Amino acid sequence: MKQHPLCTDTEHGPSVMGLAIPAGLKQEWAALATRRQFLGRTGKVLGWAAMASLLGDRAPRGNAAPDSATPYGSAASAPLKAPHFAPRAKRAIYLFMSGGPSQVDLLDYKPNLAALYDKDIPDSVRGAQQLTGMTAGQARFPIAPSHWQFKRYGETGTWVSELLPYTGRMADDLAIIKSTNTEAINHEPAIMLMNTGNMNAGKPCLGSWLAYGLGSMNDNLPTFMVLQTKLNTKENNQPVSSRLWSSGFLSSEYAGVGLRSSGDPVLYLTDPSGVDREVRRKMLDAVNEINRQTYEELGDPETNARIAQYEMAYRMQTSVPELADLSREPQSTWDLYGPEAKEPGTFAYNCLMARRLAERGVRFTQVYKRGWDMHDNVTKILPIICGETDRACYALVTDLKRRGMLDDTLVVWAGEFGRTVYSQGGLTPDNYGRDHHPRCYTTWMTGGGVRTGITYGETDEYSYNVVKDPVTVRDFNATILHCLGIDHNKLTYKFQGLDQKLTGPVPASVVPGLLA
Amino acid sequence: MTTVQRLATRANAILPASKSTRAAWIVSLAFSLILVLLPWIVRLDGHPHADWQQFLGRFHPLAVHLPIGLLVLVPLLEIAGFFRPALRESAGFVLALGFASCVLAITLGFLLAYGSGDAGAGVSRHMAGGIALTIAALACILARPAWTAHGAAYVYPVLLACMMLALLWTAHQGGSLTHGGNYLTQYMPHGLKRLAGLDTPVENSFYARHINPILDANCVSCHGEGKTKGGLRMDSYERLMRGGQDGPVIVPGNAGKSVLIERVTLPPGHKQFMPAEGNPPLAPEQIAWIKAWVEQGASSTATTLAGVSIREGRAEPPLQPVGDYRAFEPEIQRMAQSQGAKLIPVSSKPEDGLILVTVDAASSFGDAQLAKFQPFAPFIVEAELGRTAVTDASFDTLRQFTHLRSLHLEETQVTGDGLARLSPLSQLTYLNLSGTRVTAAAAAKLNSMKQLRHVYLYNTPAQAKE
Repeated sequence: MKQHPLCTDTEHGPSVMGLAIPAGLKQEWAALATRRQFLGRTGKVLGWAAMASLLGDRAPRGNAAPDSATPYGSAASAPLKAPHFAPRAKRAIYLFMSGGPSQVDLLDYKPNLAALYDKDIPDSVRGAQQLTGMTAGQARFPIAPSHWQFKRYGETGTWVSELLPYTGRMADDLAIIKSTNTEAINHEPAIMLMNTGNMNAGKPCLGSWLAYGLGSMNDNLPTFMVLQTKLNTKENNQPVSSRLWSSGFLSSEYAGVGLRSSGDPVLYLTDPSGVDREVRRKMLDAVNEINRQTYEELGDPETNARIAQYEMAYRMQTSVPELADLSREPQSTWDLYGPEAKEPGTFAYNCLMARRLAERGVRFTQVYKRGWDMHDNVTKILPIICGETDRACYALVTDLKRRGMLDDTLVVWAGEFGRTVYSQGGLTPDNYGRDHHPRCYTTWMTGGGVRTGITYGETDEYSYNVVKDPVTVRDFNATILHCLGIDHNKLTYKFQGLDQKLTGPVPASVVPGLLA
Repeated sequence: MTTVQRLATRANAILPASKSTRAAWIVSLAFSLILVLLPWIVRLDGHPHADWQQFLGRFHPLAVHLPIGLLVLVPLLEIAGFFRPALRESAGFVLALGFASCVLAITLGFLLAYGSGDAGAGVSRHMAGGIALTIAALACILARPAWTAHGAAYVYPVLLACMMLALLWTAHQGGSLTHGGNYLTQYMPHGLKRLAGLDTPVENSFYARHINPILDANCVSCHGEGKTKGGLRMDSYERLMRGGQDGPVIVPGNAGKSVLIERVTLPPGHKQFMPAEGNPPLAPEQIAWIKAWVEQGASSTATTLAGVSIREGRAEPPLQPVGDYRAFEPEIQRMAQSQGAKLIPVSSKPEDGLILVTVDAASSFGDAQLAKFQPFAPFIVEAELGRTAVTDASFDTLRQFTHLRSLHLEETQVTGDGLARLSPLSQLTYLNLSGTRVTAAAAAKLNSMKQLRHVYLYNTPAQAKE
């Protein structure tokens, strides 16, 4: 048995043949292994051959040998991946509103609540729902109507809060989903569920599944990029960790690559003084050669992923500075996004960057904006965060639209859950708090493949329960995959004995009402 | 007294002399009379009745095919009898069977209409047709012996022809009831439609353009001229506003009180949900349009509604399949390595074609590089040439990309000179010229390319002119 090259003891390794046991047992062991292997392999080969001929084109892709399943059908060629069917969107931008935006104050207009100020929410509405530890002990659940006025916007007459005047202006271009609902009531499980389809860590996220299923459109930037927005300390920021863009059990090539919100977009990307491009190239070639030897000896595919990532980083040494150079953006860009887009790390800057990444062939860009978690002081904090995000969201959608990119780019705006209609803590005429609310929250989509100018789903008059067309997290994700040409039931990867998929084992369905 | 006597002698002369035949004629006449009077004896009042009636009645669509099959066979057998007399012998038997099945179908049909509360001109016409057909079949049975005995040679064939006409008409009426009156003409070629005078121009009102078509497609098969369930007809504005036997279904200005809105928004499993009988529910936006229309006065003349915009003709044309490019696979691989630009598949189905992606070669990709992709021209459905060095000369190559749907030329040196050379590309629906030097004059030529649905001129001289 071959040892790892770094192992100091190259002569002896743990092997049945090397153990101090009777020779007869060793022979029996050898024979057993052979017979097992023979029977096992023969059975599998026959089974796979039969299945392959039965399934034909519908055979699941990926799994054991993802590289051999290409539309070109040749195992020797480089892996060329493709959607299952002709997609409407080639790429996606996901604006993740971490913390749980308050649907009651933004997009789910409930005019009748004003008359119910400080009245208790009926038990029949709340049912036997288990609340978070933060409000479970409250003696009362007084209704807190939204502090803000709503206005009708656009030809569709969509009701939007005065906090989101820019979102209102593009209401005709959105599919607003009022019936999104989740199973998790706390941030970490809920945000994991939204991003990976599972509350527990360890599963690949949406962007990794897309990178795995669709492959890259360009050589010089990663397929999946993550942009974090600088913290605003006035807001209540929940942690966002790299497992949200982890590739889980998929190869780490498919993990999201983050751009930092300040300083160098990618750390250590610039060569240190004294190292020029040529030296860097030679160094990489040498490292790659060593890695290649290691791969040949051990066969761990992660080694190849490492080689690919070094090469990507090398190419990013030129592509990222070009990406981050905004000097050639026309004045109309700044007029649209606003002056704060010039400051790296702001949400507006990230939205502009997301457009630039989309132009450069990045499949999936996720922009994280933290701070939506408002357990108290809603009337002070919500205007701040809306001011940071509203115009930028509008600018991104409008920019994509005028540049002809909205036809094949999907844009998603979503958080991990909503907020309660009842006040957490004290309710006064000018202030209130809102706790986490998983039963309904509002999200929107637009762009390639989405039926725009609609409001999908309805909630009850307390914005508490979904009464029509519920959209679960798995349906939401299945719909996103569909817009990108992927059948969520077919994009699988065998792991722990299961054909794993983003939408998980519970049946999910694409929401036809959201599709153009 | 004398008139009765006179009639009796008249009847005596007409009726056959043989006593048994005479009895048969009298019974037949009495039966026919009852059939004719049936609609007046038991009126269809439009209210549902006993469940057992509906249970049996729903076998009517099954039973009706018996008389159709059997009665059509009769003239065929009679004609075939000229060549093979043995066949004609069976015609009488088939005719009798056909008559019996007519009686069965009529009974079940009547139970269906009465039991389920169907009423309306279409139901009445279908029922009258069925009755006429049954009587015609009976008359044929009575006239046939004389015909086979070579007497009164013309009566039976004429009756037979009448029976076939009645059959045709009744069957069509029945079909219209189940499938809707426009079932046969809906997909008629446009020219034929105009010839038949069916292609009536729609008025320009919101009702005519958007509401009426929804009702037509989803409601009128049960609430129309044919069937008029609940006394409600929705096939015209006036009738819709008149409502049904329980009052109006639309209260202008108040969607909440309009029964129509209530019924279509119930949960689909609800007893009163509409469209009933497992038909597909209305789409959410259709309900929204009807709601908005009712809220804003349910006018028959208003052309637009505040807050409602319906984009018409937005559906993308279906994708045209391209040939199978898999034979070129090694060359496609080589191109990616030598040109830096690559051809990536639209999907795992080869017939969806290839996308020419130049993002990695952008600045070095010019007209000469583009020309090298000419061998793959028929397979390329999308060309991403944004930010490349291509110029107006590229149009000569691009015009050979016969399956091209999307063409990206943003941020290139293209001025739009010779854009007209792209006009043979019949499937080109997307053209992005953002950030180029395309002038208003060059862009104006695009107006003649009717296939283009998405044209982008952001940040060009042409846009500045707008």
